[in-house]
Amino acid sequence: MGGEGMKILVVGGGSREHAIAEAIARSSSTPRIFSVSENRNPGIRRIVEESGGEYALAPISDPGKVAELASRWGVEIAVIGPEEPGFHGVADSLRDEDVAVVGAVRKLAVMEMSKAEMRRMQWRNGVPGRLLFKTYHSFEEAMDDLRSQPDAPTWTQNVALKPARQAGGKGVKVIEDGQAYLHREKAEFKVKHAEWIDRYISGYGDLEERILVEEKVWGPEYTLQCFSDGYTISCGPLVQDNKNAFEHCMGPETGGMGSYAGPGPLLPFITREEYDRSVEIVKKMVDAVQRESGERYVGFVAGQMMLTELEGPTLIEMYSRLGDPEGVNLLALLETDFVDLLEAMIDGKLSSVELKFSEEATVVKALAPKGYPDDRRAAGGHPIMADEGAMTLDGCKLYWGSVHEEDGLYTTGSRAAEILAFGSNLPEASEIAERCTGAIRLLDGWGLYHRSDIGSKHMLERMDELADRARALYKYREERGTLGKRKDWIPGLGLVDPAQELERRLRG
Amino acid sequence: MTGILGIGAFGSSRRNWSVARFLYYGLLALQHRGQEAVYIITADGDLHEAGGEGPVDYTLVKGVDDIPGYAGIGIVSPAEGISIHGDVALAGDGAPFLTGGWTSLTSKLSSLLNSSSPIDASVKILDEVPGAYSFIALTSDGTLMIARDPSGLRPLEVGSLGFDMGAVASESSALEVMGMKHVANVEPGEVVVMDGYSVEKAKVTRAGERSRLCSFEYVYMARHDSIMDWLPVYRVRVRIGEVLAEEAPAEADAVIGVPETAVPIAAGYSKASGIPLEIGFASTGRRTRTAIKGSGIDRLIGVQLKLNPVEAAVEDRDVVLVDDSVVRGTTLRNVVWALKRNGARRVHVRIGSPPLRAPCPYNSSIPEPDELIGSSLSEDQIAEVVGADSLRFLSLDGLIRSIGVPMDSLCLRCWGVRG
Repeated sequence: MGGEGMKILVVGGGSREHAIAEAIARSSSTPRIFSVSENRNPGIRRIVEESGGEYALAPISDPGKVAELASRWGVEIAVIGPEEPGFHGVADSLRDEDVAVVGAVRKLAVMEMSKAEMRRMQWRNGVPGRLLFKTYHSFEEAMDDLRSQPDAPTWTQNVALKPARQAGGKGVKVIEDGQAYLHREKAEFKVKHAEWIDRYISGYGDLEERILVEEKVWGPEYTLQCFSDGYTISCGPLVQDNKNAFEHCMGPETGGMGSYAGPGPLLPFITREEYDRSVEIVKKMVDAVQRESGERYVGFVAGQMMLTELEGPTLIEMYSRLGDPEGVNLLALLETDFVDLLEAMIDGKLSSVELKFSEEATVVKALAPKGYPDDRRAAGGHPIMADEGAMTLDGCKLYWGSVHEEDGLYTTGSRAAEILAFGSNLPEASEIAERCTGAIRLLDGWGLYHRSDIGSKHMLERMDELADRARALYKYREERGTLGKRKDWIPGLGLVDPAQELERRLRG
Repeated sequence: MTGILGIGAFGSSRRNWSVARFLYYGLLALQHRGQEAVYIITADGDLHEAGGEGPVDYTLVKGVDDIPGYAGIGIVSPAEGISIHGDVALAGDGAPFLTGGWTSLTSKLSSLLNSSSPIDASVKILDEVPGAYSFIALTSDGTLMIARDPSGLRPLEVGSLGFDMGAVASESSALEVMGMKHVANVEPGEVVVMDGYSVEKAKVTRAGERSRLCSFEYVYMARHDSIMDWLPVYRVRVRIGEVLAEEAPAEADAVIGVPETAVPIAAGYSKASGIPLEIGFASTGRRTRTAIKGSGIDRLIGVQLKLNPVEAAVEDRDVVLVDDSVVRGTTLRNVVWALKRNGARRVHVRIGSPPLRAPCPYNSSIPEPDELIGSSLSEDQIAEVVGADSLRFLSLDGLIRSIGVPMDSLCLRCWGVRG
């Protein structure tokens, strides 16, 4: 039993929270770690026990419940992992109990919770890397626009159709209507999907806006994860997450099937200048949300970015937390003492902490039971087993995710575990992680799948090619002074700048 | 000659998709691979079938909008490529060496499915049935079973549409016409099963067999906007033209290519020789493939409609006429005559492939040797027959260099190379 040090609470029971708990446990200050989650995660449980802390099962988005546990245990610092507790004001209620919280309070988390509000805030504050968008309160309201002909003289033919609220990474559809001969199928699909979004988001009952339509852009995606103390933003290495369920970027959207980072702070296909511009965007967004809410941002913040031909680094979504699985890469590479870092965030002294990361390459592969993401009932309830000894020998680390320990270990329907591997380059780390996936399986013979292509040489080549295309175009725009500029010609109206139109609309 | 494709929607919202028109347009993009018959079969709990003899836009145009289904398969081919047995429909390309051909293979797959999973059943087919073939099978619940045998001779490419659909097709251009992103190939010996909630893969090898690419695909069969097994067809054809210019130079004022296959070859010839490229022909009516037309008269009608010479492009000029291959010489003879009639002074024919010498056991459209002019006559003799001032073929070595993969990774059987 260790645990002379500080009492620290981790909220959440997924792989990211397992990584957070592990990073805390690595600290030289020998903290006692407490955990509250909705599933009993064996990885977190072990860390908690070894540190002399306690583990409780409770609804993590219930502010009263989490605050009550925190004060019963007398925790000094709480670290919030997932986004939903933030949306529900768990950080606020912990703060009311005089617990120091690393995690966005409700008014700050709105930046992630409402994708529509995030976009408005970005336009209102002139933060670069913007996309055109429109919001709707119901699918009936959206119907005409979604059905608009593919020869509409503006951006509405190629769109991303999203729930206006963050919905666990669910419900985003990217529809290019570039074939007028398939317009009918795509328009019908968009309308039916919008109807689903409308119903699904009304279930949360916390936002008036239901549907968000954004202009579709293309390019390689990457996540920039940062720490904020309200005055300083310090960012880590770039990580790329992969959302499609299956290999070769095919299949439904998931929370993320695998991520890779390094070697070093950049990804092989992103430049230092692009990194700096991405940091600038995230920083300006945090400034904006602090200014507008009057709250101090203490916690993790991330920009899910894309390198686009339109503007270079472009903001796709904001996270008021670390990514999952991207957070696993980040924390695995972190060399700075994590508890020191948490304290510096709380004390507003982040600028005095030197943030150090390992230069190695990391690859994380998620494993999910067949059925995930669309049939979680089929994906849940399967006994699961991992040979952690074999994995360690092969050089991997296992982070348990959506599993529950009770008379054995069972899947609960989402990504069951994440495997982390290091290497001197990405393909090497990818191969090591791949080898380790053989050491975990479902005992009832149900399928457990993962993506073998995450971080592979082939994937990197494709990303390189995509980045080169986007970069050549945005650099040319930059030279000509047309970065981020759009022009439509609308018969009867003439030349129109859709961005100006949007700004006019936002001003009311 | 056959083109096949399959498409399926993913996840809980898959019933919101209707795939029939995706199949229709995908098949339209594969039309050059077979014009005799077209079929589509879709699934939405039941199987729905449409099609018949004739080109895609004649045969399928009526009623395709009303066919329901969130998964489906399609084929353009000679009619025997598609079969249904019980709950299983199958579109096949190539030649399974099995008595009863595709019909028996389909019933074999269907009975295997009674006791095995789709992935195991498909693997068993590849294990047990030799030949050179690819197939896409569909069951009424929308499960797609996709297989390319270890010979690798019949191509299959993979596409993806956002978070919603996956597809495979004989050529990547068909995927793009369906609005999809071309993401990979199905590898030789690979089996892929897509059931809406998962994508499973398995790999089959055959003792002593290494996979090879069909060289005829790159010379003639595929569209030049296709990328197959990671090789862009366009790049191969341009390189063929460049090599041809090195191997068989000509004194001339203009290079023209016979549409459509030989146009990139002519561009390569022009680039390497410095002789300007001219657009020598205009086409009338639908696009047809003159080498694979049924009767002699049909072929000739096809040629004459496809190749009306542009007088101003050839008048008073010595012309290099580039074509992709020579089967019977009919096309060439007609074209050379027409060029001279329109004022060309000399016509030097350059062929972007070696002489065709042997039929293909996997592809019924290349005729027997006694119907192949290149199998018995010399270059000069053929030049005389077609009325050209000279005629030269690409060398076998030149072809291999142009494709850019080692000789033992290519099937060169139709050019007379055994093995």
